[in-house]
Amino acid sequence: MQKTVVLGVIGADCHAVGNKILERALSEAGFNVVNIGVMCSQEEFINATIETNADAILVSSLYGHGEIDCRGLREKCDEAGLKNILLYIGGNLVVGKQDWSDVEKRFKGMGFNRVYPPGTSPEIGIRDLKRDLGIED
Amino acid sequence: MELKNKKWTEDEFFKAREEVLNQWPTGKGVNLEEAAEYLRKVPEHKSFPFKLKKAKEQGITLAQPRAGVALIEDHINLLKYLQDEGEADLLPTTIDSYTRQNRYKECEIGLEESRKAGRSMLNGFPAVNHGVEGCRKVFEAIDLPLQARHGTPDARLLSEIIHAAGWTSNEGGAISYNIPYAKNVSLEKSILDWQYCDRLVGLYEEMGISLNREPFGPLTGTLVPPSISNAIAIIEGLLAAEQGVKNITLGYGQCGNLIQDVAAMKALEEQANEYFKEYGYDVELTTVFHQWMGGFPQDEAKAFGVISWGSATAALAGATKVIVKTPHEAVGIPTKEANAAGIKATKQTLNLLRGQRLPMPKELEEEIKLIKMETKCILDKVFEVGKGDLAVGVVKAFEMGILDIPFAPSKFNAGKVLPARDNNGAVRILEFGNLPFTKEIKDFHRSLLEERARYEKRKIGFQMVVDDINAVGKGFLVGRPNY
Repeated sequence: MQKTVVLGVIGADCHAVGNKILERALSEAGFNVVNIGVMCSQEEFINATIETNADAILVSSLYGHGEIDCRGLREKCDEAGLKNILLYIGGNLVVGKQDWSDVEKRFKGMGFNRVYPPGTSPEIGIRDLKRDLGIED
Repeated sequence: MELKNKKWTEDEFFKAREEVLNQWPTGKGVNLEEAAEYLRKVPEHKSFPFKLKKAKEQGITLAQPRAGVALIEDHINLLKYLQDEGEADLLPTTIDSYTRQNRYKECEIGLEESRKAGRSMLNGFPAVNHGVEGCRKVFEAIDLPLQARHGTPDARLLSEIIHAAGWTSNEGGAISYNIPYAKNVSLEKSILDWQYCDRLVGLYEEMGISLNREPFGPLTGTLVPPSISNAIAIIEGLLAAEQGVKNITLGYGQCGNLIQDVAAMKALEEQANEYFKEYGYDVELTTVFHQWMGGFPQDEAKAFGVISWGSATAALAGATKVIVKTPHEAVGIPTKEANAAGIKATKQTLNLLRGQRLPMPKELEEEIKLIKMETKCILDKVFEVGKGDLAVGVVKAFEMGILDIPFAPSKFNAGKVLPARDNNGAVRILEFGNLPFTKEIKDFHRSLLEERARYEKRKIGFQMVVDDINAVGKGFLVGRPNY
C-alpha cells in the first residue's frame, strides 16, 4: 500500500527550493506526498497529517530558527492522537556552525526519529523512510 | 487605498503612518523631525549614498557582508569585527526571520532565549524590538555606513525605525521581498507597503537628507534568468523613484557564466538608466552584484573558490558593490571569523582586478543585446496589461505569468518558468510558462539547451534542473549526469 508523508518547511522559513526537489524525489520513490510548502506552523503539520492519515511528518528548516520552531512538536503530536508518528527533520537546524552530534542529540531529545545535517541527499532520507515504514525495495 | 503607481500625498502617508507606528510599542520612539536632525549629522564616511557615489566615480567595487545576531552588544561586536578585522567597506544588519513576518512577540522569545543560552537563537537582529534607541547604539558604535538587509513584505515600521536610527540604506522591494520571501502576501499589499517605505525615503530627500534604497536583485537565488531579475529590478527602481527616492542601487545575483554575468550587469545599468530617463526620474544609480546565492560546497577551501569567482566577476562587471558570502554558507549562519575571512578573500580578489574590465567581444555584445531584448519584452507587456500603470501592471502580470520567478514560494507566483544551464553554464529557459518572449528568443534558448542535451547524451528535462541546482555544491557549475 502506498504510504503518505507530510512534507513542509517549519516556522517563518521561506526556503522553497529544497522543498520542491524533495517533493519530486519522494513522489518518484512511490510516496504519496502531501506538500504543505514553506512557512508552516506545527498545527499545519499536525492537521495535514490527521486529514490525510499520513504515516510520517518530514520537517525542513534552513534558516536557523529550527530549535525554537520545533519545540513541543512531539508533545503536540501526542495530544492530537498521533502517538509514535514518525518525525524526521533536516536542514540547517541551528544558528551557526555547531558540532553536528550535539545538534542531532538535541533534536532527538525533542522527539525526532531521524535528524539530517545540511547537504544530505534525498536518497538517504528515502532509504531510511522505507526502512522505518517497513517498505520492501 | 487604490493601487496605482503615483506618489502618495502627505495626507495618505501620515494617515497610514499613525497605524504603522502603533504596530509595536517601539513605534512611539520615532519622531520624524528629530530623526531628520539626527540624520543631518551623519558624517559622509557613514553615509551610504556618499560612499557609493565616491566608489562609482573611482571605478572601484566595495565589499559588504551580511551579518546579524539577536542581542545589541553581540551585534556591535560582530559588526566591529567585520569592520576592523574583515575590512568591510559597508556594513549590514541582517534582520531575523520573525521580524520579517512582523512576528515581534516571537522575537521577544528569541531575545530572551538568546540571553539565557548565551548564543543567538535568532538568525538576525530584531531591529523593531530594539527600537530607535537600540538601533542608534549599533550605528554609533561603528564607523561605516549601515544598511538593513532582510526580506520583509511589510517593512513599514522596520523602515521607520532603522532610518530614524541613522541607517542610510534599506534593502527590499514590493516584488523582491514578497514573492521569494512569503507564501500568502498579495502583491497589492506589498506594493502599497513598499510605496510607504519609499515615500518615507522620499520625504527625507525633500528634507535634504539623502538615503539609499536597494531592491533585492537575486530573488530566489536559484537559476533566475537575468532578464527576469533585471525586469523586476527596473520595475522596483521605477516604483521607488515615483515616491521620491533619488539614490538607488539595483542588483543582480551571480549565475556563474562570466560573459552572461557581466552582460546582465551592463544591461541592467544601461537599461535602468534608459527607463528612468524615459519616465522623467532623476536618479543616482549604482549597482550591486551578489556572489553565488545557491547551494555552496561544504568544504571551506572550496567555498573560498566560489567566493573568489564571484568577486572576480563583480570586479570585471564594474559593480559598485559586491555582497559577500562566507566559507560557512553550506551550513548556515557564519561565525564572525568565517564572515571576516569571506570579506578578506573577496577584497583580495577585487584589489587584484582593480581597474580591469572585460573587453567587449562579440559574445558579450550579443548577450547584452539578448538580455535587453528579453527584459523589454517583459516590461512592455507589464505596462500593457496595467494599461500604462506600472503598479497595476505588476499585479496583473503575476496573475498572468508574464512575471514569473523560478522556485518562489508565493502562491501569487505562477511558477511555470523552469530554467536550466546551457553547455557553457549560462542560465537559459527550458519551460517559458507565459513569459512574453518572441518565437526567435524561445527558439534560441531551446537550441542552446538541445546542444547541452546532445553533449550529455540525455533528454532535456527536470533532472537537468535538479542537477544544476546541486552542481555548485558538488564543485561544478553545470550539473552533468555523471558528477
